[in-house]
Amino acid sequence: MSSMTSYPIYRDPDTAIGCRTVDEQERSLLRRVLDRIADHCRARSLFVLHYCTGCGAIELPPSMTSRFDLERVGMQPMVTPRQADILLITGYLSVKTLKRVILTYEQMQGPKYVMGFGSCTINGGMYWNSYATVKRLQEYIPVDMYIAGCMPRPEAIQQGFLQLIERIDSGRATAWQDYYRRYDWYLGNQQAMFGEQFQTPTDVIAEARHYALASAETTGRHTALLEQQLQQAALMPVGPGRAAGESQ
Amino acid sequence: MKLLSELLLMPLIAFGVGLLLVLMMRKVRARVERRIGPPLLQPLYDILKLYGKKTQISHGVMHDISVMMLLGGVICVTLFLPVPGMSGLSDRGDIITLMYLMMVPSLGMALGVGQCANPNGSIGISRALTAMAGYEVPFVIAVAGVAIAYGTTDLAQIAAAQQGGVMQWGLFQQPLLAIAGLIAIHAMLGKEPFEIYVAPAEIATGPMVEMSGKYMGTLFTMMSFQLYSVGLIYTLLFLGGGESWLLLLPKLFAVVFVSVAVTNIFPRHRTEKVIGFMWKWPTGIALLGLGLVMLR
Repeated sequence: MSSMTSYPIYRDPDTAIGCRTVDEQERSLLRRVLDRIADHCRARSLFVLHYCTGCGAIELPPSMTSRFDLERVGMQPMVTPRQADILLITGYLSVKTLKRVILTYEQMQGPKYVMGFGSCTINGGMYWNSYATVKRLQEYIPVDMYIAGCMPRPEAIQQGFLQLIERIDSGRATAWQDYYRRYDWYLGNQQAMFGEQFQTPTDVIAEARHYALASAETTGRHTALLEQQLQQAALMPVGPGRAAGESQ
Repeated sequence: MKLLSELLLMPLIAFGVGLLLVLMMRKVRARVERRIGPPLLQPLYDILKLYGKKTQISHGVMHDISVMMLLGGVICVTLFLPVPGMSGLSDRGDIITLMYLMMVPSLGMALGVGQCANPNGSIGISRALTAMAGYEVPFVIAVAGVAIAYGTTDLAQIAAAQQGGVMQWGLFQQPLLAIAGLIAIHAMLGKEPFEIYVAPAEIATGPMVEMSGKYMGTLFTMMSFQLYSVGLIYTLLFLGGGESWLLLLPKLFAVVFVSVAVTNIFPRHRTEKVIGFMWKWPTGIALLGLGLVMLR
């Protein structure tokens, strides 16, 4: 992901409670200590949401169970996106499953991390010329870490997780903020894949403004399309009777 | 002044011991599955991480209030439990007050989950309240039996009456009530085979399904308090409490250990099976025990 500081930060006067990334020089000593403790805890307690509609789910039981016990580093499986920290996407994503991945991703609470697992999430892998398969995951949601291989073995999964833990511990795993900062770009790619009608229930732009993570690239011509659709939906008559203008 | 310091200190001790109980629970589970398990500070890392989340979803005012109600309820329970050196509010409220207070967390959760409008959450909370109707019956009978046997509802006096040797413990004086109580607290902790309302593989952790970040952190905190208070109530009722922490803590850990160790070999019952089981076996055993106490 590109560097976080290069975007001019949009600030609403009313939202002073945001989680803007503060410059190193600007932070007080107490703030730095607290951030350090928080990062330390984040790195040692990771709840993983497995998204295993592709292949490769079979590599996870050995890494979670008695052979290579991932609970030693504080990782445990979680079943709902609200509670999870890591979205682990194993194997290829088809156009249909990518929609669900985006819905799931937007329901997770930041800081959240995405791991692409297997070469299919990197460049399509052996499905590189398939019409129904997503080629590069990072165009649709920000990805923190890829585990290459077809399939990656449990040792490789562990190595990937340990690298992610190290990045979180040093405060470098901030890809989730990129989704808010460059939402227009991600939405444009999603619209190119699913058509211009695509929208999700989560209001990402409002969230970005609320948490003071919005930048000049949060909104753009793709999000303008989203607002246009919302206005059309608001003007549409409700119910079959009134649509035809029968009642009165 | 002494009371004020006790009111501050008792929840803190409860939280610390509760974290150790959570750690023991996860370690035992790991050992049964031949894993190594989490490190020492893992429960604390989990809670701090959840409180350190940077974004947060709230589903409305009731959702916010319910979390506070949960935590307030479990902290209040710890204030009414006499521990070595500190009596807190236990001389002002007896075991009956305590049983009322122990229902507050479940009711608070029901109010909050209702506002989340998640079907998994609604199913989960309806199961939780149904399970409560199941385990409260044998638990109340067992508590009533103990209260009749010692002629008091004051927990400190019940524990004091059991001093003077292992054979004076409620476990050996009223064995039937102790067995029924053990099954009831096992269901109260929501462990398999009575884990009907969490059920991660079936209804995605039920009531917790929409709880994220700080709310989930509060629930984790609540769980450590709950392990402590449920274990301590059983220790006071049937294991004679303890004159000092060194005597009390091993008993407390043993009670929770029995529950946790049994958990790992069971699958999950259906809701109606849980109710049927709870109203048949523990209730029957508890009624027999109550009859023996009354005849004596």
